[in-house]
Amino acid sequence: MISNATRKRVTPLPYLLILPTAVFVALFTAWPVLLSIYQSFFLQRMNIARFREPTFIGWGNYVNLFTDPYFIQVIKNTLVYVLGTVPISILLGFLFALLVNRKVRGIGFFRLAFFHPMVLPMVSAATIWLFLFTPDYGLFNSTLRFLGYTGPENWTGNPNLALLSVIIVAIWKNSGYYMVFYLAGLQNLPEDVYEAAALDGANGWQTLWKITFPLLRRTTLFISTVAFIDSFRTVDHIFVLTSGGPSRSSTTLLFDLWLERFEYQDIGTAAAITVIFVLVLMIFTVTNFITSERKEA
Amino acid sequence: MTKRILYQLFAVFLILGLLIGACAPTQEPAQEVPAAAEEAAPAESAGEEAAVEEEAAMEPVTIQVFYPVAVDAPIADILNGYIADFEAEYPYITVEPVFSGGYADVQTAIQTTVDGGGEPPALGVMLATALYDLINADYIIPLDGYISEMDDGDAFVADFLPAFLDNSYYDDQLWSIPFQRSAVVMYYNADMFAAAGLEPPTSWQSWADAAQALTVKDGDTTNWGLHFSSDWPYWLFQPLAIGNGQNILEDDCTVVFDDPAVIEAVQFYIDLSEVYGAMPPGVQASWATDPTDLASGATAMITHSSGSLAGLLAQADFELGVMPYPGKEEGTYASVPGGGNFYIMKGAPKEKQDAAWLFVEFISRPEYVADYSINTGYIAHRYSAYDTDAMVAYVADVPQALDTRDALQYAGAELAVQNLGQVRGIFHDYIQRAINGEMSAADAMAAAQVEADAALADYCP
Repeated sequence: MISNATRKRVTPLPYLLILPTAVFVALFTAWPVLLSIYQSFFLQRMNIARFREPTFIGWGNYVNLFTDPYFIQVIKNTLVYVLGTVPISILLGFLFALLVNRKVRGIGFFRLAFFHPMVLPMVSAATIWLFLFTPDYGLFNSTLRFLGYTGPENWTGNPNLALLSVIIVAIWKNSGYYMVFYLAGLQNLPEDVYEAAALDGANGWQTLWKITFPLLRRTTLFISTVAFIDSFRTVDHIFVLTSGGPSRSSTTLLFDLWLERFEYQDIGTAAAITVIFVLVLMIFTVTNFITSERKEA
Repeated sequence: MTKRILYQLFAVFLILGLLIGACAPTQEPAQEVPAAAEEAAPAESAGEEAAVEEEAAMEPVTIQVFYPVAVDAPIADILNGYIADFEAEYPYITVEPVFSGGYADVQTAIQTTVDGGGEPPALGVMLATALYDLINADYIIPLDGYISEMDDGDAFVADFLPAFLDNSYYDDQLWSIPFQRSAVVMYYNADMFAAAGLEPPTSWQSWADAAQALTVKDGDTTNWGLHFSSDWPYWLFQPLAIGNGQNILEDDCTVVFDDPAVIEAVQFYIDLSEVYGAMPPGVQASWATDPTDLASGATAMITHSSGSLAGLLAQADFELGVMPYPGKEEGTYASVPGGGNFYIMKGAPKEKQDAAWLFVEFISRPEYVADYSINTGYIAHRYSAYDTDAMVAYVADVPQALDTRDALQYAGAELAVQNLGQVRGIFHDYIQRAINGEMSAADAMAAAQVEADAALADYCP
């Protein structure tokens, strides 16, 4: 009886220790999200005197958003951007990691070369690319021309290329970052598995896809989550390169959120976009986690 | 058992202590009070003594000024110099300049502070065109009270170049004071013009002809006669419309997009590329690179801000010409002002607002206006500034500084309307469609008009 009671008693120490984190998460994550959900049901526009006080409009903001062709275009742009950046930058990160995971003299230089875009602030990186993208003499266009490209050269001003140009910059910027995680993963892989594979006569390709890649699954899970979230929350280069244009062809969800909140001062719509934003990220993260944990079993 | 509870209690206090430590406001201002009083004490000349004593009796006050850096100039150093002069004259006021990024960032920072229930800075430098958004959101106060308290307030206001006050008035009240102002101008490489036997253009036709004549193909690359960026198009476009006799706005509730003259101006922009082959096709996302291209000889003309003058003069090894855009008709010209004004924030306490006004008045003195213009490339925005010795000497050396000012006599109002962000976004969207050939100029402007009118409907019953 007594021993049972002791076992059941709650020990407060662990809870106390997570209290600071819990407070910060509640204050800076949970509370803003709850507030956004609440605000998203109200019409509130700071720059119209009679709409400055919030009025309840139910699902109005959401209905407006999903019937607005602009917002549909923003969703499409975001999808293209995410699908364009995430898989390719992860794949490139993996390849770079394989390339530099060897003991050669001066390998540090190559690792640095792949990694350095990550060290640059996004705004600086985008400014550099602004000049690389310059028509005529810009390095990017000169190189493409040398390879036989004859298409349009005003990358950031062309409605069909503007989104692609911000994707290119994001891939260039992030691949090196993901490489570092893969490199760390690769260097932690057990040697004996490879020895066994070599004894069994596995070729390089088989070793790569049957051993290395599966063993790095947790790294891939981590990187894909980070990459996905990152692709939603980077906007700096869009500000510098295209300002979301031309004709909104490179406006993504977060850029649109900034427009609604700070350019149009439309708090209700901005809150609705925030809710959509958080939902998408949560669904992805949870699904990603669940599916990969299931594979584990 | 007791030991464990003690241990747990200790942990709680530790955590609470950390939290409180992190959240507690800093108490620094309290320590600054005696320091400010000490500084005020040793007055140098007998004449200043009385004034200083009077001011020393004032409560010390610290104000913040949020300002952007939008040009290639050491704005922070320059401002710190003015602030030191100001604080010497008003020892009880401390001015803290807060660099806040670009214009949009300053406005965002102030918005988030006010909306979050905090006290905004007493003074902010924001776009002149932000006027209606700032009034509607109830962020700023009118300045007429301060003007009427001045010895000669009317003369103070009349000394500002009128084009720069265009976006300061609403409801017959004055809401902002010009500070760092610019204008759209056309820069040209006068040496290239001379070599080709061309005169500076005086009409759309001679402009297009000159641009065509100065376009040179060189292997794979083309040295275009004209670079005219359209990545943030309304500002550089406006002088085209004004030069055709119709600005794109009439008042804060009326925009004029679907108008034959405006459509013709859009078409002229397109024709510069399509008909004359004098400009790259499509939207030119080249605002950032155009000055460099002109300076390096990659193009003969650019349309840009007068704020780029200092940088261009430093880089160019040819004679640099500056002029307003030629208008459509022979001998007509056009321009449009731009840049930032001082706004005093409503949410700041009265004594800080008063101190902010003193600072605005101080920095609007001709000698500071002249100095700021010389060091940054902004246009000196007061007539009296041009009579200062520094400005007279500067203009003798750099006559182009007068050309930028003179362009303003042809200026129409910059696009400043209710719901500016959205209306401007709509205009950008459609003019870029026209430039990229996705829509005809007429269709694009008609669609822009419909959407803009809808976006204005809530504001303009």
